Amino acid sequence: MALESAGVADRGRSVRRSLLALAPILLLVTIVSAFLTTGGSLVGLLGSNPPQPDVFDVRRVELEPGKVRIKVTNPQTDDLTIASVTIDDAIVPFTVDGPETLGRLRSATIQVNYDWVEDEPLIVGVTSSTGIQTTHELAAAVETPSASPTSFLGYAIIGFLVGVVPVALGLAWLPSLRRAPKDWLAAFMALTAGLLTFLAVEALSEALELQRALPSPLGGTGLVVLALAAAYLGLTLLSRRFSPSGVPLAGLSLALLVAIGIGIHNLGEGLAIGSSFAFGELTLGTFLIVGFMIHNVTEGIGIAAPAAEGSAVSVGRLSALALIAGAPAIAGAWIGGFVASDLLGVVFFAAAAGAALQVVFEVVRYVRRTAPGGLSSPYVIGGFVAGLALMYVTGLLAG
Amino acid sequence: MAKPVSRRKLLLGAAPVVAAFPAAKAAWAMGGGQPMVHTAMHGHDHAALGHAAMMGDLVPAPGGPGALDALTYPRNALPHSPGRVREYTLAAFDRDLEVAKGVTFAAWTFNGTVPGPVIRATEDDLLRVKFVNGGSHPHTIHFHGIHPANMDGVFEIVDPGDSFTYEFPARPYGMHLYHCHSTPLKKHIYKGLYGAFIIDPPKPRKPAQELVMVMNGFDTDGDGENNFYTVNGLTFYFAKYPIRVSRSKTVRIYLANLTEFDLINSFHLHGEFFRYYPTGSTDHYEYTDTVMLCQGQRGIIEIDFTNTGTFMFHAHQSEFTELGWMGFFEVVD
Repeated sequence: MALESAGVADRGRSVRRSLLALAPILLLVTIVSAFLTTGGSLVGLLGSNPPQPDVFDVRRVELEPGKVRIKVTNPQTDDLTIASVTIDDAIVPFTVDGPETLGRLRSATIQVNYDWVEDEPLIVGVTSSTGIQTTHELAAAVETPSASPTSFLGYAIIGFLVGVVPVALGLAWLPSLRRAPKDWLAAFMALTAGLLTFLAVEALSEALELQRALPSPLGGTGLVVLALAAAYLGLTLLSRRFSPSGVPLAGLSLALLVAIGIGIHNLGEGLAIGSSFAFGELTLGTFLIVGFMIHNVTEGIGIAAPAAEGSAVSVGRLSALALIAGAPAIAGAWIGGFVASDLLGVVFFAAAAGAALQVVFEVVRYVRRTAPGGLSSPYVIGGFVAGLALMYVTGLLAG
Repeated sequence: MAKPVSRRKLLLGAAPVVAAFPAAKAAWAMGGGQPMVHTAMHGHDHAALGHAAMMGDLVPAPGGPGALDALTYPRNALPHSPGRVREYTLAAFDRDLEVAKGVTFAAWTFNGTVPGPVIRATEDDLLRVKFVNGGSHPHTIHFHGIHPANMDGVFEIVDPGDSFTYEFPARPYGMHLYHCHSTPLKKHIYKGLYGAFIIDPPKPRKPAQELVMVMNGFDTDGDGENNFYTVNGLTFYFAKYPIRVSRSKTVRIYLANLTEFDLINSFHLHGEFFRYYPTGSTDHYEYTDTVMLCQGQRGIIEIDFTNTGTFMFHAHQSEFTELGWMGFFEVVD
């Protein structure tokens, strides 16, 4: 009896605690609704509100013979109406696959019958009912690959060539790395850290640059920070699962973490290649593919270096590592080719930066523990700088 | 482009990226040298392209039938009668106008339209134009022509709520124009404060089917470039509603250019030549099918159609044509 009443009292306390936790939310709701009903008078105190920018977010422009399709989103609070469409500064008749007035974050696809000229620049303009024109430029008009089995295969081959193949080639250095003295192995680990740092900084600057092109309600550096932190912390959680005792990762588990980090990065790279190709922004020649391949071989070394320490690794596991690091390039190319938008680009690049930074952190922890002479050993410093330099030099090949 | 470009710049601006790799650049140049044109798209499953698609109901023109009648068909000329008083009232007020299909322009208007109403007098009439400023900014009316300095609409700034009466003898005969001359001048003109001003000669011109065409542009997003071009204020209006004229009678067009931002505008007629009288104040004319007018220039066109049928007229700046400044004559017997 006494026990039971104690239980009831406990339950009563926990209900009270929950109610107490809800109080701020309830108060917020009350204040917000009070503001919404009388908020106009606040604006009156401050003067009039500036108008909304009425700029569309042109997410994608797709071309097929005789047709241009423009996918637009309304990024602002107020409704936005598609009133006029121009191509190369000429008004064109158009149809919309739904209502012409778009609510907040609503999208529509505008279709225009238009005899575009292959390989020449194309500027589409969408004008709101308030007369504000949003323009979007394609550097060279080429037919957008549609989602057919052939184009699917084509993107897969591109992703395979620039992702999986070079990583696998880089992994083939594993036997040589195994015979390397400890000093040199540390140098190669530092090289891994260097090249990942290079990738992280580059991906971050790319994400920041891309977000500037987004309409302000969608973009903002906040999105970059969010994606970066999510990737970084996600990988941190993962590394703790690999090593629950908190011992710094080493050997195959560190190699796996590096592979995952590089995989996330290659997803962004595949997206960039796929969408640039789809939108005629990239002449996809053998030269370019070769450039990317040479560049990405370095990523294979990065995975091989930690795997060189410890017990022998089976070919099956090595292939798995190559796929984990390289195959996301295929997925990225598909996404880029068929659905990409600048918004996705920002998220992918920021995530790539976060993942790469986390892996750098793990590698540095490992090197500090194992390198003869620690982090200030000339092998480590030389390896790190060499990693940065290697990325820079091979990056020139890929443009 | 000596600067190495990050491979991840691919998503961004493309031309510079392409310019960055020599191999790609070569491919680009080759593609540009022999552009491949898609031509096989005029089938029945596609909507017709080109100007044919810009006739009738498909035309994205605002306004209904007759919407531009008041601005296009001027009142008749009156016989010469020196000293006769001609009174007009012009009120300036702000008004949102649909200038292109579905697109509103926050205009400053004379009497609610852009261009403003046509003012017409015969030489030696005494013009009395009462101007009421119902707008939100100080305005004036500056007439082209000959008049006293204190009637020039430059110094007599009329504040909102005030009025002013311009009074002067109408001289010289010809096609003129009027516009607000408040500063900033560019703003007051591109917002819409202008119109046609016809002074008829003492000896009447020969009877004709008379039309007024004021060429203009609308910068709807305020970036200092016109988004739309029109005659008499509505894009593609005369493509949707062709102007019907009779072949047996001369067509006379009082033409003025009040386009802001672009230095010139032009008028080109298909399938026919015409006499063009610059400013229309002398008998001197040019026989041509295309005339070019600077901002503020104007003249009179006289067409005697040889053939019946549908004839296009438009600015010969292709860009202006495709941004709204085009139409058709329907010439009938």
